[in-house]
Amino acid sequence: MNRPIKKSKRKEIYVVACFFVIIFVGMIAYLINFVTNGAKEFVYNPYNSRFSVFADDVTRGNIYTADGHAIAQTSLGEDRKEVRVYPDKKLFCHSVGYVDKGMTGLEASYSFDLLKSNIPLEEQINNSLTGKKSPGDDLFTTLDYDTQKAAYDGLDIFDGAVIAMEPDTGKIVAMVSKPDFDPNTIAANWDDLTDEKNKKSSLVNRATLGAYPPGSTFKIVTTIAYLRANGGNEDYSFNCKGSLKVDDYKIHCSGHKSHGKEDLLKAFSNSCNSAFADIGLNIDPVDFRGTAESLLFNQELPTMLEHTKASSFKVNSSTAKSIIAQSAIGQGETSASPLHMCMLVSAIANDGNLMEPYLADKIITAKGETVQQTKPKSYGDIISKDEASKLQSYMEAVVMDGTADKVDFGDLKVYGKTGTAEFTNNKNQTHSWFVGYAVDNSGKKLAVAVIMERAGYGSKYAAPLAAKVFKAYFE
Amino acid sequence: MVSVITSFSRITILSFVLAFTIIDLIQIFEFKLSDTLSSILATVQAVMIVLFLINGSIVLYMAKDNDITILVLMLVELVFYWGIYVAVHKMAVPMSRTLLNNILMFLDFSFLMLERIKVQNGIKQLAFGVSALVVAYLVIILIKSIHRVSQHIYFYGAIGIISLLSVIFIGNVEYGARMSFTLLGVRVQPSEFVKLSFVFFIAAAIVTYKDYRGFLISTIGSALHVLVLVLSKDLGSALIFLGAYVFITFIAYKNYILLSIEFAVGLFGGILAYKMFPHIQTRFIAWSDPLSVIDDKGYQISQSLFAIGTPGWFGSGLNNGVPGKIPVVTNDFIFAAIAEEMGTIVAICLILMFMCSVFAIFNIAFSCSNKFYMLVVSGLGIIFAIQSILNIGGVIKFIPSTGVTLPFISSGGSSLLSLMITFFIIDSADELGYCSDVRGIYE
Repeated sequence: MNRPIKKSKRKEIYVVACFFVIIFVGMIAYLINFVTNGAKEFVYNPYNSRFSVFADDVTRGNIYTADGHAIAQTSLGEDRKEVRVYPDKKLFCHSVGYVDKGMTGLEASYSFDLLKSNIPLEEQINNSLTGKKSPGDDLFTTLDYDTQKAAYDGLDIFDGAVIAMEPDTGKIVAMVSKPDFDPNTIAANWDDLTDEKNKKSSLVNRATLGAYPPGSTFKIVTTIAYLRANGGNEDYSFNCKGSLKVDDYKIHCSGHKSHGKEDLLKAFSNSCNSAFADIGLNIDPVDFRGTAESLLFNQELPTMLEHTKASSFKVNSSTAKSIIAQSAIGQGETSASPLHMCMLVSAIANDGNLMEPYLADKIITAKGETVQQTKPKSYGDIISKDEASKLQSYMEAVVMDGTADKVDFGDLKVYGKTGTAEFTNNKNQTHSWFVGYAVDNSGKKLAVAVIMERAGYGSKYAAPLAAKVFKAYFE
Repeated sequence: MVSVITSFSRITILSFVLAFTIIDLIQIFEFKLSDTLSSILATVQAVMIVLFLINGSIVLYMAKDNDITILVLMLVELVFYWGIYVAVHKMAVPMSRTLLNNILMFLDFSFLMLERIKVQNGIKQLAFGVSALVVAYLVIILIKSIHRVSQHIYFYGAIGIISLLSVIFIGNVEYGARMSFTLLGVRVQPSEFVKLSFVFFIAAAIVTYKDYRGFLISTIGSALHVLVLVLSKDLGSALIFLGAYVFITFIAYKNYILLSIEFAVGLFGGILAYKMFPHIQTRFIAWSDPLSVIDDKGYQISQSLFAIGTPGWFGSGLNNGVPGKIPVVTNDFIFAAIAEEMGTIVAICLILMFMCSVFAIFNIAFSCSNKFYMLVVSGLGIIFAIQSILNIGGVIKFIPSTGVTLPFISSGGSSLLSLMITFFIIDSADELGYCSDVRGIYE
């Protein structure tokens, strides 16, 4: 059969064969990558109806706070049908989400894991033999029950948001948004909650999706822009007369107060609008925007959370002077989410390094074995160590003898910035802001951002709420 | 009880497929294998094929409320396999035992998955298979009797182009492309058979004219084939024919510069087609971000990815998934159904089996004594490779979906018959070549 042929002349056949082998291997690599990494995007899609198949064999797992409080569990109702129960009702509603009426929150993003059982195989087989369901894996969040409760109770009747995270890990310890809803009765109240006439938008998580004018808390950004424009030099002097005229527009200091002669630290701790309008006007608009963007404005935030809103800072070379002056004090077209402001102070607290915020700490089996543990992830340095240490001293001055010096923070060392943000032309209606962080004796840190809608001065409402959150966390 | 069997069978089926695939890789890539060992391994593979079919059939039998049809089908399928085995041994080339085993394994997947989706589908496919076996055997006898088989260039070219043109005028439109017509109640997809005549055409042109004319004729003929396919919006087939032309001429002329020029022209043509035809652009959108157009063009690929991604490595178990949610699942998207129910590891094994089959075909081409058949076998291998890559790649979103079937696994009679003939030609290439050589000497 094998008559002599010059086979060596046919090596091109194997060149072609190798070409195809490479593509086949590439496809396998792609498939492996898809199933290990890429699939989640598809698996969690609401169009994916395959979840319901899992629920036939597995009982949906529970969700816990970091300190072991069950905040979502499956129990049997009167008709022996499974019901999802949220024992703390509204307390964790936005972070945990709900399962009826299309999933949201952690219920949605970890649905896949909650409906998967990783108990030993022989038990699973045993269960299916006896017609029992296997218990799904449980999710431990990073939330701290007491801190969450302090934030929730502290926000009281106000609309707004509180978010607190550990600067050195990115763990979100508390996340509250109001108005809120009770996930236990979501199906019954659905029509009311989603009614077009209902302007409260209770289902929206304001902590991650709110687009608020940052007001004076934005002076943190303006300060960093100033330092960068002057090569890190802090020298600045300004004589505040209570207002500053920019073209036809007049910037007023809070309460029309004249702060007199100020350096950068004084202007920051007094939250002097005139001085910061002046600073903003003296920075090249392109550089200003560049700094804001390096501090994560105008882009998706680097977090392990789903659905966040990009903050916005739109100054450019053709922006009118009066708008630049307003933008420099966090008004005008500038907007930020509480999550973003919290990340900003968190980076300052962490000497410039930003840790990506996350809510899901670990997944464990019903037997308590860890299946998956989230590792803290660094986004990198968004400001330099030098800038961070300067900002730290300015934020310290705010609490020591600035706008927040009357607030009782107890024994904690607190660094912060207040804000009173106008959101309409009515200057009597303002949002109350506080962003900052606290350090206890052991060096443990917590960063918070608080916004209380229509509450008034930041120093009067938001800062005392932050104090309650700090106390609850460090006690 | 049923769910325990299904669950347990995930592991057994996985073991059969895994063992089969490992032997595949050894047979193809371990060159120092002794004949005895190779033969033993091939027998082990045959056992795996039978075990896989029996195991899968039992699961389906129980899951489908003890439907006895499934068990009857299983027995008929085993007889059918034996028929293929006998037919192949009449042509007898020991080297292609790996290829034969792979094809039987593909048929295992095909029968089990089609029966699982709808028992009727399985019966139909088996009937197609049996007829394909008979017809393909006759076709080989016919080819043996053709005088100067390598010289009917214009005959091969003409039937190809006329068949393809016929679809444009009397064809049925399916999924936006004209690909088939109905003949005596049977849906015929001519492009499946033109793949064969096309390869014969190019090989004949190259072998008959030793100078530039061979290249010229094959180039013009190929361009015409591709043009007609583009006009009937059969994008996948157009790509397959183009690829076959490029690689066959490369193997024949051994010219890298030519290869690069052909690649460049092909790429340019592709870009031109992309700019000209909106239906190609929508395929690209559905590929790059299917979730953004999930209500419309991205629905099929999204459903496919849900199916692959949700159950994960070990799959949901046979009959435990919901492959019916993927549109045209028995045809272009059967790979997604296999991945869903048998798991990602089995899906990877399946890709490896296709890879090994392609390599096995090229091995046969390499040792083919007759140049015409060397080119024919290479060409058929190239088509087989491109088609499986286009199909699987499209299903897993590796490349845009082009609407081609998965060889031996997707449902459809035209495709199965064409593949059976392809396989028989590859398997008997040496003998066919010998026949035409001998005739060449006597004439």
